[in-house]
Amino acid sequence: MMAATFHKPATVDDAVRVLTDAGEGGRPISGGATLVAMMNAKLVEPDVLVSLSAIAELKDFGRAPDGTVRIGAMRRHRETAFESDLAGGQAVVAKAASQIANPPVRNMGTIGGSISFADPAADYPPALVAADATIEIAGPDGRRFVPAEEFFLGWYETAVEPGEIVTAVLLPPAPDRAVGHYEKLCRVAGDFALASVALVLALDGAGTVTHLRLAVGGCGGGPVRCPEAEALVVGAVPSAERIAALAERLVEDLDPVDDSRGSAEYRLQIVPRLIAKAFEEALTEMEPAR
Amino acid sequence: MTTKTQDVTVTVNGAARTLACAGTTTLLTVLRDDLLLTGAKRGCNQGVCGACTVLIDGRPMRSCLTLAANLDGAEVTTVEGLAPRGELTRVQESLLKQNAVQCGFCTSGMVMVAHDLLQRSPDPDVEEVRDALSGNLCRCSGYRALVDAVIDAATGGAA
Amino acid sequence: MSVEIPFGAVGANVAKLESAEKLTGAAQYIADLSRPNMLHAAIVQSDVAHARILGYDLTAALAVPGVSAILTGADFPDGRMGAFIKDEHAIAKDKIRYFGEPVAVVAAEDEETARAAAKLVVVDYEELPAILSPEAGLAPDAAIIHEELESYLKVFPAICDGNMASYTELSEGDIEAGFAEADVIVEGEFETAPQAHLAIEPVGALAEIDSQGRITLWSANQSVFRVQANVCESLNLPMSKLRCLTPRIGGGFGNKMEPHIQPLVVRLTQVTGRPVKLILNREEDFECVRARHPFKIRCRTGAKKDGTLVAREMDVLLDCGAFGDDSPGVLGYSLLMSRGPYRIPNVKCHGKLVYTNKIRFGAYRGFGNPQVSFAAEQQLDEIAAKLGMDPLDLREKNLLQPGDAWFGGGKVASNGLADCIAAARKASDWDSRTARPAPKGKRRGTGVALGAHISGLLGTGAIVRVLEDGSIALNTGAVDIGQGSDTVLVQMCAEALKVPVEKISLASPDTDGSPYNWGTTASRVTYTTGRAVVGASKEVEKQLKDHAAQMLECAVGDLELRPGGMVGVTGSDKEVSFHQISLRAHWGAGGPIVGHHTLVFDQPTVDPKRAIAKGLPFPQIGVYSFICTVVDTLTDEVSGKTEVDEVWTGVDVGKAINPSLVIGQMDGGFVQGMGFALCEEMVWDGPKLANPTLLDYKVPTTLDAPYRMHTTIVDAPEPDGPFGAKGAGEIGLVPVPAAIANAIASAIGNRLHSLPMKPEKVFRAMTEHDDAA
Ligand SMILES: Cc1cc2nc3c(=O)[nH]c(=O)nc-3n(C[C@H](O)[C@H](O)[C@H](O)COP(=O)(O)OP(=O)(O)OC[C@H]3O[C@@H](n4cnc5c(N)ncnc54)[C@H](O)[C@@H]3O)c2cc1C
Ligand code: FES
Ligand code: FES
Repeated sequence: MMAATFHKPATVDDAVRVLTDAGEGGRPISGGATLVAMMNAKLVEPDVLVSLSAIAELKDFGRAPDGTVRIGAMRRHRETAFESDLAGGQAVVAKAASQIANPPVRNMGTIGGSISFADPAADYPPALVAADATIEIAGPDGRRFVPAEEFFLGWYETAVEPGEIVTAVLLPPAPDRAVGHYEKLCRVAGDFALASVALVLALDGAGTVTHLRLAVGGCGGGPVRCPEAEALVVGAVPSAERIAALAERLVEDLDPVDDSRGSAEYRLQIVPRLIAKAFEEALTEMEPAR
Repeated sequence: MTTKTQDVTVTVNGAARTLACAGTTTLLTVLRDDLLLTGAKRGCNQGVCGACTVLIDGRPMRSCLTLAANLDGAEVTTVEGLAPRGELTRVQESLLKQNAVQCGFCTSGMVMVAHDLLQRSPDPDVEEVRDALSGNLCRCSGYRALVDAVIDAATGGAA
Repeated sequence: MSVEIPFGAVGANVAKLESAEKLTGAAQYIADLSRPNMLHAAIVQSDVAHARILGYDLTAALAVPGVSAILTGADFPDGRMGAFIKDEHAIAKDKIRYFGEPVAVVAAEDEETARAAAKLVVVDYEELPAILSPEAGLAPDAAIIHEELESYLKVFPAICDGNMASYTELSEGDIEAGFAEADVIVEGEFETAPQAHLAIEPVGALAEIDSQGRITLWSANQSVFRVQANVCESLNLPMSKLRCLTPRIGGGFGNKMEPHIQPLVVRLTQVTGRPVKLILNREEDFECVRARHPFKIRCRTGAKKDGTLVAREMDVLLDCGAFGDDSPGVLGYSLLMSRGPYRIPNVKCHGKLVYTNKIRFGAYRGFGNPQVSFAAEQQLDEIAAKLGMDPLDLREKNLLQPGDAWFGGGKVASNGLADCIAAARKASDWDSRTARPAPKGKRRGTGVALGAHISGLLGTGAIVRVLEDGSIALNTGAVDIGQGSDTVLVQMCAEALKVPVEKISLASPDTDGSPYNWGTTASRVTYTTGRAVVGASKEVEKQLKDHAAQMLECAVGDLELRPGGMVGVTGSDKEVSFHQISLRAHWGAGGPIVGHHTLVFDQPTVDPKRAIAKGLPFPQIGVYSFICTVVDTLTDEVSGKTEVDEVWTGVDVGKAINPSLVIGQMDGGFVQGMGFALCEEMVWDGPKLANPTLLDYKVPTTLDAPYRMHTTIVDAPEPDGPFGAKGAGEIGLVPVPAAIANAIASAIGNRLHSLPMKPEKVFRAMTEHDDAA
């Protein structure tokens, strides 16, 4: 059979080299939860597989003195979900991780694999946009850094070029007292999102919004964020009316399709309500602190 | 067509096995076809049903989504390796007694996740058990008896 | 009436006999089997829905190293199989009738090679217009799917025409007079969606030919005898040339009763002379086995002011799919169930079954009953609302009473429905249901539905032998698909002979050695095969006593069976063991002890003095089990997504031979019914099934299924049931969609008429109601 050659390099440089040499037929493999499923269905038939499992650097989680968190690309969803160091606004990423698939798949899947595959209904993409993450990418010319918002190009497309691999996700420190929330609607537990909302929110002592980033998943080719809509709430008290106005503006930017999870029409109806719910949850979480 | 294989050494149920695998061969295929350990079942080959779940380095994972070539040095435990021949683990015993097994096709996978849960959380509550089993589909039982059996195994005394 | 259970093997929660094997991975299912020198097969599926086959190009596929044979329709005999209408070839021959239909089959040294070669098979088609709905099939100028329908062999007086495979009618009383009497009439259209069986084990088969040309066939099945019949009909093979066996079965739910790919491997082993195994992958299993019928239902129910039901009219339209399979049965049965377990004097029901270019729809747990109940049980709630009555009170007022006949006039001997209601009413605290609080952001609803379901149908048998050492060998031919019939049948044999369960061995079904058994379907094994087991055991008891009378020199009438395999003289300590008797029988006098009993269910479905039936396929159907299910649902105000919070069921299965297994059927049936009600949906993109994967077709997980499910088993022994038992396999699912629909209606103030009641439908109904308010 068309058996791929299998490589398991120990460094990022070696991985990039093997991949570059392999050209079109080369594929990195992280958790395999998506790639092997596709291989089993004969949707992809790679010639060269480059396992990232033996690269120590990719498995690390760390926090820099300035508060920036670095999540290695090979961190499993389970690890990220239980990462106690992801608090405040950054918790949106842990919360998204905890809602991916189910426990055995979370033991396998990695953040690097998930965002590289960029399923439009996946949970990390909106969370990373809300968290203002930066994606670290290694290629033949070294490392480069791409903001999450520019990383997801829509419908399984990302900024990763052939021969490159994602090496880490960087989360900047969120403002003090910020809260992150992830709201996901799916048909049954463990399903991909019909629609989801990720939100990082901070208020000042008077209850006015000082920081807001909100992204919607499952409603188009990639996560959708709308700064113009956010501006309707930032600097004001987050009243129901303002949140509704935000939602109304944001929905204009959505581009959902009908699929077996639900209709486009329903997604457009439901997103404003999910947004309202996400605010409600985030505000509730803040209460003791305020 | 080319067949490129490479040797991989994996410890399966305590015994080191050296396997010649092609780059695309999954652990499930190796277990079932090469090692004739057919306890892990193929219900979907897509990671969804959970019937193929085994422990890899102590964690339940989908053997259908795991490339054997990636497992050099790993430890794999299948349902056949949980208890010595003729014996049952506590959770197996409890599933048996409570008649939580119907067709049995999901059972190996269920046993693996339940076993793992009890290793990590010896006294789980109902919600923990439901969560731990949530990646394994059972079309027969309606799940309640499975959940009860796991709870019962946890509270059921010595192994 | 009560049943005597002196020994205690019946009524006990005996652990299933094969569980240890399943728990340790030792159990062997079809995919686990192999034979020396075995080939592996893969199917080629059509990528058109309706077409004439013009030719095949196998050159590229045959050139793949390792390919041993490729068969197309041209290589198969012209036989046709089918449960009710013999309309199906073993593989597409001359014509394609649905997208995904097997059109060729490849055998190769390994599965990968077979699958790779299958991709290279080219089929040349002349496409015909695809009929994708029953309405399209009935259109005057519709393309005809089975041109030879008229000439097909049918096992019932089918009324068919064009694409209409069957028309059935059943009525009682005077429908016009009935509605004229009514003070309130509710009328509505309801629609149910197809549901995938989704046994976690995909189907598969393995066949091996011997040097005399006789074939042994193992397969995932619900009846080795139906497999034998279907394969032999389609391949024009004498039944004596085919032996069918069964490994462990990974769930069925109706999917594995009639044939799937068994004829393909049989033909391949004939052609190649080697054992051949074929296991479908999940996608193929979705696309080309079978699914639950979608129904379109028009239903009208009338009642008097005091709540007395007076009339019901129902009109159903069923999508048959490409082949008849069990569909005429489903149509007829759904009509028989359309009145429900109520006294309604005037009922008129009719239905059409229409061929379409879709996967065959077939038997699925409930057999049309959950679909018609979805309509009928909602209308009862509508009437109750109009009359300001409690929905459960309305039902109780109109309940089918002990002694009442079923719709059509069939006899109902035992009827524990009133006790089922009482049990569910009490357990669910029905009368204070509206006082239960809902969590923030959710709307709580409570709903109820009643149901009845038959167990019975057709032939079955059992053979009980006393081995030399006095232990017992039981052989029935009934396939245990996981529900536990092996255990239950052994329990009954143990009870009848007063020997411990461990002393009884059970033979695996084998068409060579087992007595006929129509199949594990129609909730029938416990009831019908149980009767055969008891009958055969009685025969053994008689023979044992004949021997004992001679050995103990007493009259047969003075003898009794004693626990542990003894026959003793009543009132004395004189006794002989089965062992002693059997030694005598084997070596001395009389010959080895073998008891057998066979029967065919023979109570008429319809009383012609009372009802008019046309095109009804079951002259003799079964005895009735009953159920009352109450559910509490929580609907999310944000999304409309509904979950079931708690379930209370009262069920009359006559006598529970093994209560834990009955509860297992109730739990499992509930959750499968809940999936049908809330989230399972097969989506078509034109002629092609758009979601044939588990990532896209979703079934409930542990987190979606309610943990709090409570079953009360009510005793209502069936006079001719074994130890009073009736069936339990399907009834748990029957009322579920209706009960959930009623609960949702009570929560959101609006009623859903179509399944599945997925979030967006509930959301729309909820917001419509809120906006109107
Ligand atoms: C049953 C099931 C349910 C799921 N449900 C969800 C869900 O609800 N939400 C959700 O978000 N996801 C879900 N997933 C997807 C899951 O999160 C996957 O683990 C994830 O999308 C892929 O991660 P992986 O590490 O397994 O990647 P792999 O499968 O190893 O790779 C995925 C793709 O990315 C490429 N790739 C991998 N790593 C890198 C890298 N570092 N740099 C560049 N390219 C790379 C691969 O070549 C491949 O094309 C589900 C998966 C399954 C099987
Ligand atoms: S076979 Fe691996 S999850 Fe279904
Ligand atoms: S017991 Fe049949 S799938 Fe779980």
